[in-house]
Amino acid sequence: MRRELHDLMAGVCIQCGAELNAPPALCHSCGAIQPFRAELSLFDVVGLPESYDLDLQELRSQVLQLQKILHPDRFAQAEATTRRFSLEWSTRLNEALAVLRDPLKRADYLLQRQGIDALGEQVKVADPSLLMTQMMYRERLEDLLAAKDQNGLDNLRGEVEDASSKAVNKLHILLKKLPCEQVVEAGSVLRELQFLDKLLGEIDRGEESLQNL
Amino acid sequence: MALMQIAEPGMTADPHQRRLAIGIDLGTTHSLVASVLSALPTVMRNHDGQYLLPSVVRYCEDDKVVVGYPAQAAAGQDPHNTIASVKRFMGRGHKDVPLLAGHLPYDLVPAEGMIRLRTRAGEKSPVEVSAEILKVLKELAVETLGSEPEGAVITVPAYFDEAQRQATKDAARLAGLNVLRLLAEPTAAAVAYGLDKKSEGLFAIYDLGGGTFDISILRLQAGVFEVLATAGDTALGGDDMDHAIAEWLMTECGTQLDDPLWRRQVLQQARQGKEALTDQEQVQIALDSAQGVSQVISLSRVQLETLIQPVLQRTLPACRRALRDAGLKVADVDGVVLVGGATRVPALRSLVAEFFQQPVLTDIDPDQVVALGAAIQADALVGNQREDLLLMDVLPLSLGLETMGGLVEKIIPRNTPIPAAKAQEFTTFKDGQTAMSIHVLQGERDLVQDCRSLARFSLRGIPPMVAGAARIRVTFQVDADGLLTVSAEETSTGVRSEVLVKPSFGLNDEEIARMLLDSFAHGADDVAHRRLSEARVEGERVREALQSALSVDAALLQADEKAQLDVASQHLERCLAGSDADAISKAAEAVEAAAEPLVQRRMDSALRRAIAGRSIDDLGE
Repeated sequence: MRRELHDLMAGVCIQCGAELNAPPALCHSCGAIQPFRAELSLFDVVGLPESYDLDLQELRSQVLQLQKILHPDRFAQAEATTRRFSLEWSTRLNEALAVLRDPLKRADYLLQRQGIDALGEQVKVADPSLLMTQMMYRERLEDLLAAKDQNGLDNLRGEVEDASSKAVNKLHILLKKLPCEQVVEAGSVLRELQFLDKLLGEIDRGEESLQNL
Repeated sequence: MALMQIAEPGMTADPHQRRLAIGIDLGTTHSLVASVLSALPTVMRNHDGQYLLPSVVRYCEDDKVVVGYPAQAAAGQDPHNTIASVKRFMGRGHKDVPLLAGHLPYDLVPAEGMIRLRTRAGEKSPVEVSAEILKVLKELAVETLGSEPEGAVITVPAYFDEAQRQATKDAARLAGLNVLRLLAEPTAAAVAYGLDKKSEGLFAIYDLGGGTFDISILRLQAGVFEVLATAGDTALGGDDMDHAIAEWLMTECGTQLDDPLWRRQVLQQARQGKEALTDQEQVQIALDSAQGVSQVISLSRVQLETLIQPVLQRTLPACRRALRDAGLKVADVDGVVLVGGATRVPALRSLVAEFFQQPVLTDIDPDQVVALGAAIQADALVGNQREDLLLMDVLPLSLGLETMGGLVEKIIPRNTPIPAAKAQEFTTFKDGQTAMSIHVLQGERDLVQDCRSLARFSLRGIPPMVAGAARIRVTFQVDADGLLTVSAEETSTGVRSEVLVKPSFGLNDEEIARMLLDSFAHGADDVAHRRLSEARVEGERVREALQSALSVDAALLQADEKAQLDVASQHLERCLAGSDADAISKAAEAVEAAAEPLVQRRMDSALRRAIAGRSIDDLGE
């Protein structure tokens, strides 16, 4: 019963009953802020079509425009329910920007929407070639840090960044058509990209510790 | 509420006036208040034309509390009862400040929770001491504006953690301020600069105040300020320069006494010497040694620069970290803003310019810039909308939960834009386990003992299941002020538990209860709580207004009117003790009705005084 009511209410303003346009945060008719609905995807939240190929500038400006209207600072003097709705929307907008602008997180999110948890702990994948690559890179990083070899670190960073862009390009092809049909390949590229991201972070931290010596 | 809004003719507020709000920079060494007056952000000056209020509070022998310059002047003679740099203690426990305790001449009470200072007025928490400073600023604002401000934006170092932010908010509430928003100091500075110049781009805000250092990387685009990253040190500042100079002075004159009085004097001399060297190449410092012999020590700018170099250098790793967290290089930065009195030091300016490979921005007085930015934001928040301005902040330190083996699992990493929420699932580790303890921590380290403990609470009533079958979903919600709510739910059964994380050190239960009522912003009982809280606030206001009016003008009432008013006010008193919102509101209305003759006559007599052109004060002289 409640479920039906919930569905019935979807897409209409809680205040005036007018139909909601995308993104459904504010009623275009009466201006009332709407409760956040869990079934909305991050793409719904920012009002962009679901796709891996995303114009990051457009994403950013869309989020900023919506934050200007929906941020809790806009409702500092409003009553509690309105403030809560605003907090929820503003929170989701931040989450959407963080997830969708990152090529790794965006791909992961799209696969999760298909019910595939490629980076989850349950996925214990033995991908021998990835394991080998990981070990080699890590050893090189350790050696370079021990030798305080800044040039070597710069070269390594360049290589890792190149490998990352290649992985992202592969994801663009694999996720061109949604839902993705080659989920096994996509998952494996995703794990490679995750490793490369982590490695870049380790290079950063290593460099910082060298600089602060 | 009509009772107290009696203004002298000519002082009456214009009904079409903008809504009044203030910005407060609650600093380690100085504090100040600003407001947007006639569309211009302006700092408020006291009768002597000063706008910087030294953040020094003295508890005097006659039970008076003195704040500002008079307190600072007495610091030398009365060190135990004169509290300076209290901001360093905000939200801090004993183990957080071992180094400070050696430097500062206070009598710290050994206790759990937030530090307490023993003074002749009793044990004081940093929250209470800060509230004294805020009260003085509020009075100055009321005097300047001609009425109570509707709300205030208080700035905090971007690096302040939960406990420190909450302590600041508590202090503001104790001072009777309606806090609209806590704002990161660097963000406030950027607001002041950004709006003045209508520029877009990436900015580094280098803020070295008396006791804290912050570096923030901000992006301004299309009227939205976004904090991209922030780093810093909550225990590093101009004070450290003063201490370094003082140590050197003491070595030079060959004495190292523990006498707090003397140390305080040396410290003041050191500070004055540092400030003088901003414009001069050399200063002479006359130092009274403990034996009463006076010595003159010569300090050159070069010598000063050597002494403070370690302090300056300690700021650079944080600059690198902030840039890296923002994913930027030095060359990406379009402007560097200097904030805080300590950035007047010439050696610092050249070091920062060298690091960022560009000249630094110093157009706005580095002491005023934060308060001015806060005033602009406060003005926007009370509804004098600047549609073009929005401030997006980030979480300064990672939030996490304790997991097995004393480890911290990070749930929301630092520099995540706020508001933010994150949910994580946990499970039971024993068969039939019905309760689970949740320990919330903040910090970057991996071990529980190295992070700040924010809250512990239990989720009870988990239905007994085999180990690993329960699904406990813990949700962190950080609001736009950076304050946290944690809730936990067993998802298969819907058992819920929620805490608003409020490390309320330093306040007694009654105060906490009152503050909790004020701040219930979440939960199902919200509306009822809010109504009660508002009714209480209003009821208290009526009661206080009545008392203060009666203390001056009770003679204006006839005996029967007075009796009626007494009955009504006693009824209000009783209602306030209860928790019936409607009863409180009705009782307050009744008091206002009964006070009508009093209000009328007070207004008449105020009018007569004004028409006569002389105030009571004039007559008394």
